[in-house]
Amino acid sequence: MRQILAIILTSLLVGCAGPQFLYYPLDPGGRSLNSPFTESDPYIAGRYIVFASSRRNRQDIYLFDGVEQRLIELPGLNALDAIASDPSVSEDGNTLVFLANRQGKSDIYLYNRQTRQLRNLTQNLAAEVRNPTLSANGQRIAFESAQKGQWDLKVLDRRGESILEEFN
Amino acid sequence: MVIGLSLLGLITWVSEPAIATAALLNSGYADQQPALSGNGRYLGFVSDRQESRKIYLYDLQQQQFVDLPHLNRPHAVMESPSLSVTGRYIAYLTNTQAYPQIDLYDRATQRSVALTPGYLGWIRHPVISPDGRYVVFESSREGRWDIEVLDRGARVELDTQEDDIVPDAIDRG
Repeated sequence: MRQILAIILTSLLVGCAGPQFLYYPLDPGGRSLNSPFTESDPYIAGRYIVFASSRRNRQDIYLFDGVEQRLIELPGLNALDAIASDPSVSEDGNTLVFLANRQGKSDIYLYNRQTRQLRNLTQNLAAEVRNPTLSANGQRIAFESAQKGQWDLKVLDRRGESILEEFN
Repeated sequence: MVIGLSLLGLITWVSEPAIATAALLNSGYADQQPALSGNGRYLGFVSDRQESRKIYLYDLQQQQFVDLPHLNRPHAVMESPSLSVTGRYIAYLTNTQAYPQIDLYDRATQRSVALTPGYLGWIRHPVISPDGRYVVFESSREGRWDIEVLDRGARVELDTQEDDIVPDAIDRG
């Protein structure tokens, strides 16, 4: 009993000390953070880690709950005809933003986990886009656009309206 | 003619304050790798607008750039910035060693510290949590690309929206 207590106390002290890498066991079944396949583009907000993975023979977006240590379903987000990448999530876990490439055309999508609705934010933008990111409060989306023949930055509110139109 | 000139004068006069206070975000060079602070106010990114690629911070509310003293180092790779909730912490990729590593810049102290000294593996794409405690990144340590989660520990000063410790005077640079 005393030994167990000592181990618990030691691990608590070590846990509080300095920076450390958290260990997430690898799940060959693809139900955890890491798998035997490629994981990429991780993003963290609050208890959530969102990332892209090729664990099911195509590249999809996955949402991991760090508190419950499990994946959360994202019905209607991943599609058979799209390669998804560059996800980000709001701190409340309700809004996700990511890049999806369909037949060579990339667009930025906003996914609402409550309504399960997917919205294309760059449908009317006749330019290549990449590297989208959502602010943790879920209110702003920034990305790169090649509209002017080079990579420029754009910032939208969650309705898809540019917040810098008059100056940039 | 006279009316035309005075109209022109009026337009110049009216639009002058806006031009004087707002700085354009984009440049004639590549501006890339955007990162938003958790509160949506600040935009970090890398730009080739000066001789080498550097990290910049733009205040979307004031439409001004924010000074980042001692952050950018000449001859060092500065890539992939990521911001905490008020933009106090900036995690980024650099190569002050021979290989890529993650450094953390604190706008309160205006200094960077190395987060992954001696890390055995290739590192890409660091992202810091809004409170500044955790950093996730891509790692090749296991011989394939996995996600690694670094916990900076329970004793670090967290970044919170309430404790916006960076005063406006510094924001305006």
